[in-house]
Amino acid sequence: MPDEYTNTIRYYASLLSRHPAFLGALIGVLAAFSQALLISAGGPEAYGFCVACHTRDMVNGLTNIIAGTNLALAAISKNSLLPVMSVAGVLIGGYISATLHREHRIKKGTTRDYLIYFISGILVLNLAMIFGGCPYRAALRTGYGDLMAVIFIVSMAAGVVLGAYFMLRKAEQEGA
Amino acid sequence: MASGILPEDAAVFFVPIMTLLLGILIGYLAQRSGYCSIGGFRDYFLFRHTRLLSGYLALIVASFAGYLLFWFLTPAAMEHFFWALTSGPATPIPGAPGGLDAAAYLIFSIVPGFFIGLIAVLIGGCPIRQTVMASEGNYRAAWFFVGMCAGSILFAALVSGWVVALMKTLGFGA
Repeated sequence: MPDEYTNTIRYYASLLSRHPAFLGALIGVLAAFSQALLISAGGPEAYGFCVACHTRDMVNGLTNIIAGTNLALAAISKNSLLPVMSVAGVLIGGYISATLHREHRIKKGTTRDYLIYFISGILVLNLAMIFGGCPYRAALRTGYGDLMAVIFIVSMAAGVVLGAYFMLRKAEQEGA
Repeated sequence: MASGILPEDAAVFFVPIMTLLLGILIGYLAQRSGYCSIGGFRDYFLFRHTRLLSGYLALIVASFAGYLLFWFLTPAAMEHFFWALTSGPATPIPGAPGGLDAAAYLIFSIVPGFFIGLIAVLIGGCPIRQTVMASEGNYRAAWFFVGMCAGSILFAALVSGWVVALMKTLGFGA
């Protein structure tokens, strides 16, 4: 019964690929692997995957190449032919998956929404750069043994709780 | 100077390729699972749902396991593992603006962490979730991503200098 066997594998593969814990474990191990592979190109350590830092490296690195500026970026991107490209990869991977599974939907907002999201993007990136990493690099740094990153995660959880409390109160007021 | 599996000449060539492939894999799976770190804490606080939170906790545990594994296999690439034991508990891994003392980095952990959590939960997702939603065709998330791109040039050109100058004025210089 090869058919049934294939179906069982397909079922579990689909279940696994849709579980966040699988992706979390994968990012952790692959980030360590990519450091073991590529660290000769330059530091810093625990830099395998980070949305904010890698966006910074990609944008500033490409701006440096195209416009000849000298914006700051991590050593690994400065020494390489091109800066780290993982964020471009995330966009491509997300688009492939959304198209394959027919989940690609154009969702538009108002101009006010766009402005709020644009400013939030600037704020989140600048705050993340002041700490030296987004939530993902904070997790990698925790795994690498950096206690400052543990403090960051606890503080972030506190911020999320406060924000969620605001959302809850707003929802209750609208419901009443 | 840490040295990895690939020598420097090869590594500088493979950095963009390797990270691009890694990103495509992560983006694909993140779209399937709705992966989000901020969402994990939010869902746990509001509904006691642990599905998304398990993803973030798995990332912390697996990164420790992964770094431990490669520390055994290629010790030269993991120069300062385990950071708190090799470099002291109060020093952060480089990445933040340099030249400040330990108290400044403690502030740099607490204040940005709190506000990143607050902003991200109010706009409904952490940076990776916004990036994936942008690739799904969400215009608001796309504007968030454009904001991150603008913010990176702004930070390098202006904000990092301001922050260091401010902290030095307040007496946190090294």
